[in-house]
Amino acid sequence: MEPTDEALCRRVGEGDEAAFDLLVARYQGRAYRLAWSLLRDADEARDLSQEAFLRLHRNAARFEGRARFSTWFYRILVNLCLDHRRRTRWWRRIMAPVDAAEESETPLVERQPAPLLDPADTVERERTTTRLWQAVDRLSAQQRTAVVLQTQEGLSTAEVAAVMNCAEATVRVHLHRALTTLRKTLRQE
Amino acid sequence: MGPWHPETELIAYLDGSLAGEARARVAAHLDGCAECRAALEDFGGLLARLAATAPEPPPLSWGRYGVDLRVRREARQGAGWWMFRPLQAALSVGLVAVLLVLAVQSTGPRPIANGGLAALEVASGVRLDVIRTYTLLERLDLLEDLDVIVQLDRLAPGSEG
Repeated sequence: MEPTDEALCRRVGEGDEAAFDLLVARYQGRAYRLAWSLLRDADEARDLSQEAFLRLHRNAARFEGRARFSTWFYRILVNLCLDHRRRTRWWRRIMAPVDAAEESETPLVERQPAPLLDPADTVERERTTTRLWQAVDRLSAQQRTAVVLQTQEGLSTAEVAAVMNCAEATVRVHLHRALTTLRKTLRQE
Repeated sequence: MGPWHPETELIAYLDGSLAGEARARVAAHLDGCAECRAALEDFGGLLARLAATAPEPPPLSWGRYGVDLRVRREARQGAGWWMFRPLQAALSVGLVAVLLVLAVQSTGPRPIANGGLAALEVASGVRLDVIRTYTLLERLDLLEDLDVIVQLDRLAPGSEG
């Protein structure tokens, strides 16, 4: 039977390097994807996701098991990403604003899963989806984090609140404001 | 104050966390408010669409990722505190340097080396050792005179000092 994430984390805290390697293998894809969703930069996402694993390694002995391991680990990663965005905010303001679709190596549209829709609507739908995710990229850090954690990582409101270390009501405020903004953006098209 | 329209309650209604009277209140409102029904439908549609179309990041070499992570981990484990506290390390070094400079400066004027004295003697044509001795002798003479003066009343008449 596969050990749980929580059991592996306890073993990492006891110095079990094999347990650490197993946790990395389980979470590296999710960590990189989440970091990239928040930062939209592959190099930064790689560096910060690795940093999150290093912090996990250093602090595993402090994991008490009261929360799920994924919640605890995502909190480390999200805090790293938000701190990084805050530190580099002045630099991003100086640089000319670039659309997220232009910033990445492959256009956003080409990275969408193949739509299961009427071909006649496909082009329009893909265009709308691209604009939608561009609008997500323009949300505030907190709103974007809440949206990404719920829609991309499939976390419940309670879990998002645990990761963001805030109340559930606060998460709903972030989501409501984000969805209101996104709705307005699509209606303006 | 205008009529009440649910806002964050719509999110709770959507995620199923609204229950009891609160849920019933929102449901009753939605029955009579087309605007809120449209908002609820749009919010639900947006969340579903975002979940279904989340873009994937650029691909990574996971082998390379693992190697890099191992290298970083080993570097951290072998590093001293100064690698993580560069500012404190720099300040410590600076403080030590300042203390050293202050310690050197506080030892007072450095004595003139013998070579320096010889040059001074040649330049002035005076034997400095004689001057030092003369000063000492002069003081000794004065002290002797003082001794004589103090004991004048004990000296025998006719004796010469």
